[in-house]
Amino acid sequence: MQIAIIGCSAAGISAIEAIRSKDKKSRITVISDEKRPLYSRCLISYLLAGTIDEKTIWYRPDGFFKQNKVDAVLGAKATKIDTEKKEIFFERVRLGGRVEKLKFDKLLIATGASPKLEKIPGVDKKGVFPLRTIGHTQEIQSMLGRVKKAAVLGGGLIGLRAAYALKNRGKEVSVFVRSPQILSQIIDEGSASMMQKHIEKKGINIVTGRSAKEISGKDSVSGIILDDGSKYDCELVIIGKGVSANIDLAKAAGIKTNWGIVVDEFLRTSDKNIFAAGDVAESFDVALEENSINAIWPVACEQGRLAALNMLGNEERYDGTLAMNSLEFFGLPVISIGITKPKKDIYEEIVRTDAEKNIYKKIVLRNNVIVGAIALNSVDTIGIFGALIKNKVDITPIKDIILEDYFDYGKIVNLIKGAKYGFKEKEFKETIMTL
Amino acid sequence: MKKIFCDIKKCIGCSACEIACAIEHSKSKKINEAIKEIPLPIKRRKAQAVDKGITISTGCHHCEDAPCVTACMSGAMYKDKKTGETKHDEDRCVGCWMCVMTCPFGALTRQKQDKIVVKCDLCPDRDTPACVEACPTEALFIGTEKEFEEKLCKSR
Amino acid sequence: MAKYLDRSADKASQQMIKQAEKDSVQLAWDRLEAMQPQCGFGELGICCKNCKMGPCRIDPFGEGAQVGVCGANVDTIVARNLLQHIAVGAAAHSDHGRDVAHTLSLVGNGHAHDYGISDSIKLKEIAKIYEIKTEGKKDLELAREVAEKALSEFGQQHGELKFASRAPEKRAELWRKLGIMPRGIDREIVESLHRVHMGVDNDYKNIIMHGLRCSLGDGWGGSMIATDLQDIMLGSPKPIRSKVNLGVLKEDHVNVVVHGHEPTLSEMAVKASSDPELLELAKKQGAKGINLVGMCCTANEILMRHGVHTAGNFLQQELAILTGSVEVMMVDVQCIMPALTNLASCFHTEVITTSPKLKFPGVRHIEFKEERAYEVAKSIIRRAVENYKKRDKNRVNIPKEIMDLVAGFTAEQVKTILGGRFRSTYRPLNDAIISGRIRGIAGVVGCNNPKIKHDWAHIEMVKELIKNDVIVLQTGCSAIACAKAGLMTPEAAMEYAGPGLREVCETVGLPPVLHVGSCVDNARILIAAAEVVKEGGLGEDISDLPAAGAAPEWMSQKAISIGTYFMASGVFTVFGGDPPVLGSKNVTDYLCNELEGIVGAKFAFEEDPIKAARMMIEHIDKKRAALKLTPSMRAKV
Repeated sequence: MQIAIIGCSAAGISAIEAIRSKDKKSRITVISDEKRPLYSRCLISYLLAGTIDEKTIWYRPDGFFKQNKVDAVLGAKATKIDTEKKEIFFERVRLGGRVEKLKFDKLLIATGASPKLEKIPGVDKKGVFPLRTIGHTQEIQSMLGRVKKAAVLGGGLIGLRAAYALKNRGKEVSVFVRSPQILSQIIDEGSASMMQKHIEKKGINIVTGRSAKEISGKDSVSGIILDDGSKYDCELVIIGKGVSANIDLAKAAGIKTNWGIVVDEFLRTSDKNIFAAGDVAESFDVALEENSINAIWPVACEQGRLAALNMLGNEERYDGTLAMNSLEFFGLPVISIGITKPKKDIYEEIVRTDAEKNIYKKIVLRNNVIVGAIALNSVDTIGIFGALIKNKVDITPIKDIILEDYFDYGKIVNLIKGAKYGFKEKEFKETIMTL
Repeated sequence: MKKIFCDIKKCIGCSACEIACAIEHSKSKKINEAIKEIPLPIKRRKAQAVDKGITISTGCHHCEDAPCVTACMSGAMYKDKKTGETKHDEDRCVGCWMCVMTCPFGALTRQKQDKIVVKCDLCPDRDTPACVEACPTEALFIGTEKEFEEKLCKSR
Repeated sequence: MAKYLDRSADKASQQMIKQAEKDSVQLAWDRLEAMQPQCGFGELGICCKNCKMGPCRIDPFGEGAQVGVCGANVDTIVARNLLQHIAVGAAAHSDHGRDVAHTLSLVGNGHAHDYGISDSIKLKEIAKIYEIKTEGKKDLELAREVAEKALSEFGQQHGELKFASRAPEKRAELWRKLGIMPRGIDREIVESLHRVHMGVDNDYKNIIMHGLRCSLGDGWGGSMIATDLQDIMLGSPKPIRSKVNLGVLKEDHVNVVVHGHEPTLSEMAVKASSDPELLELAKKQGAKGINLVGMCCTANEILMRHGVHTAGNFLQQELAILTGSVEVMMVDVQCIMPALTNLASCFHTEVITTSPKLKFPGVRHIEFKEERAYEVAKSIIRRAVENYKKRDKNRVNIPKEIMDLVAGFTAEQVKTILGGRFRSTYRPLNDAIISGRIRGIAGVVGCNNPKIKHDWAHIEMVKELIKNDVIVLQTGCSAIACAKAGLMTPEAAMEYAGPGLREVCETVGLPPVLHVGSCVDNARILIAAAEVVKEGGLGEDISDLPAAGAAPEWMSQKAISIGTYFMASGVFTVFGGDPPVLGSKNVTDYLCNELEGIVGAKFAFEEDPIKAARMMIEHIDKKRAALKLTPSMRAKV
């Protein structure tokens, strides 16, 4: 069997490993537009910050393709998928854009997502970057010597990570956030304001409710002009405005897409031989109970793994995606899972704050089932909430204590015992069998 | 695979496992010196209250489809192909806490000073893990799931 | 190294441990192994089970609970636990003292005819301290008054313990100033128990200072009463030759081991062992005689007064039974291992309890009554004699090891020996210290503990000290350890002592290591220290003296009390093995640093006996320098 994979980041690599754990024979060809794709995309801001070295970012060894017997077509762009003939067309950049084609039996589209760039005048100037690939990091690093002040547009995960990285490199940084709070896609206002205060205390300037309307300068950036007309001088602008799924290839091939490529519970697209995984795939969200894209590392890995197993003919059901983010700035960690800012009144919120210890904890419930959680500065047991979300457990008996500092696995043992359908993860059985 | 199990019926919540674990993972391996170390040695197993008079000692379950391994973005968390153990390479760890976020048992601990995660390593330098040896009621057990089941059958 | 070699430094004990291994008999060392790892919370002193809101434990490794349910922090919990230990230790010693005073009272009132007054000079001396008029009074009358006064010190509610006035004036004044002058022996113990009750004393410094007060009530109270009244009643020890180690058990004799701490009954047992009627009976049973030997501090008592052979120290109590040659082990109180009866049941040995305070389920109890002491003792020895025929000769395995020693050095004897009978004075000792021939004085005392190679730490520490010209006074199991190692013979000075100490020892024929008695006899060391101060030339307080104390193999609460009163009296004291206080940095720092600025002495914890000895020598040198004395003949360690 010939398996083709387009894209070689989290989902693609995870798929390769899953295939090879079960099947040593099938041919695997992976097509990636990056020349050296085996790095961890999440680590690029760490690299920029200088908290890790270049070595650490390569999260799989150089011999990875060889060890796994993979034909790696690197620095090549897939241009077309013919679903009828089961062929992919691609161009190798290095060979002057010569078009080649590859036949496949099963295809995994793991083309990921691209950073959204603001459509404002001046985004094409030198010194304006998104932060998505190792290439971006290298380019930013190469000009850091000339930078004194930097502006970050966007107060989301990437924006703040970029700001943190630049501050760590001794730059003066201001973050401009259009919405009234930072991290608005990830956490609620209460936790965001605590995090914002903490970050500001450490010397990063954050301006909420403000966006840039223009980037000024000749060839290179010299500053930004904000929507209130005020100016901010800087030599570097990083744009962190989220990502959009790379669906053009699939869309052109007639595969069903929405915000992303729509997949079923087996990670299959509308074409039975074609699967999708990672930031490009739109799948059922267990918290939202509707389709969604959670462009995060663990989801990409899990989807890549299951899609791969299903391409081999198994029927591994995917439980669904779940939003999850872990962040830490200057020693203050925050982790969020699922729905953190419920909009409808069918949801119940329980919040506990501890000003002295700088702790904020919240759960969001629907019919006494957790569908979302935030933990700021007391994060060690939040993974348990994840299990409760996935297994849709009625937490009524522990509602009073679930946000306490002393909450731990022991407190859900009785819930596991009482759960109607049990917990999916087999390891929970180990506890139950001793009761 | 061989891993550590806890029989809730026998656990008395004495925390001997915690202390033994912390000492084993200290530099000096002696309690009177370990408590002076900086950073303090970290226990990877905790005695937790379940209900009135019921306790459990919890640590890494070395899950077969380990969510922490899937979530790890630096390749620090990995499965040992031979033993099935979930291992952690502290040198590769960047302290992103993705594993903490996904562990359904809350069994991972952040070592804040070096910004790395620490977890049960089944005491590679010992024949029997320190916690199992320390358990005064033999609630803790090291072995395969099957062996543990057999032990439970015998004791019930 | 084979296990048995690792467990004891004493050859006789090694042989018996090896035997036990062969016979699969469990000893303290095996039980220690089975107990591993031991509770870390207990080790650090951070568990509190004083009330039912608890038990509470402080997490020593960071993120768990840092205060108990009541809010007690680690300092409070550790300090309270320490105070409780001190109180228990002080209670044990003092209750012993109470029994002795009670016996003396019975003697004075003519109710205990088996005892009498053996040292009427000391009786008068003590009467004087108690401010009792002696003129024209007969011994028994005086004894009655002294006993009553001693008994009243236990229940005294205010004022000061009379014996505390024997301390240097400067020291007593310091105690008054600090508010730690003991008011009554029992009062300070009871108050300790009150203070550790839920929600009473929450200031660790205040708690520890009361610990000092409570311990002083032991050292300058209960223990001192025990020592002095025993001397009055049973005789003051004088230097006496004897033998020590398991080799004193005899294959062809009825062997009786007396084990424990209080000498009143064992004194009678010594007498009864030469009772013609019983000797006759023994012969009839096929034995050549009755061999009564001692174990632990009971051994020290009858050794000091009668030269009765000593079979061994604390960790040898099981080993004695293992020899298969013991007909009866008669026990009184303290340090009697509960394991004895089980072990004895594997042999013909009969364990007989004698105190209403110590019984075993199912074990023969022949209760000691002061009024008919000899009769009770005789009945016990009779049981031993009758038991001889049950001895299985094939199982008898008595080690050959036996060592000579000289014991019987009391505070009074030391000055007699050094100063001569006619001008008995501490002057020669003070002069020897001032001149630097003797670098300083060390008290090395305390127990055995299977966590430390049996006897090893005692022997190594003492050898290091005498090598450096420090004269060593010993009590308890520590004394027995060094006696077995041959350090308590005058000849030992030749082999082990430094040149200065050797010279002094050779001049007066003194061993470099002096056996001053049992663990209550640590009071003798206090008196000796006070006398040296009084003699002049070495400062005005005990804390000025070039002196130090140590308990290298300690294990009991009594040892904590002793260490505390040594320290509170101004003696730098080293514990081998950490007391359960390390869980609190503040408490540890208070004990090991801050207190020096308050009472002029502090604790140190050091398991390595050589390192500990060097700390003591360093301290001695520091004190010598402060007194501007010439450096000792061996200035460098």
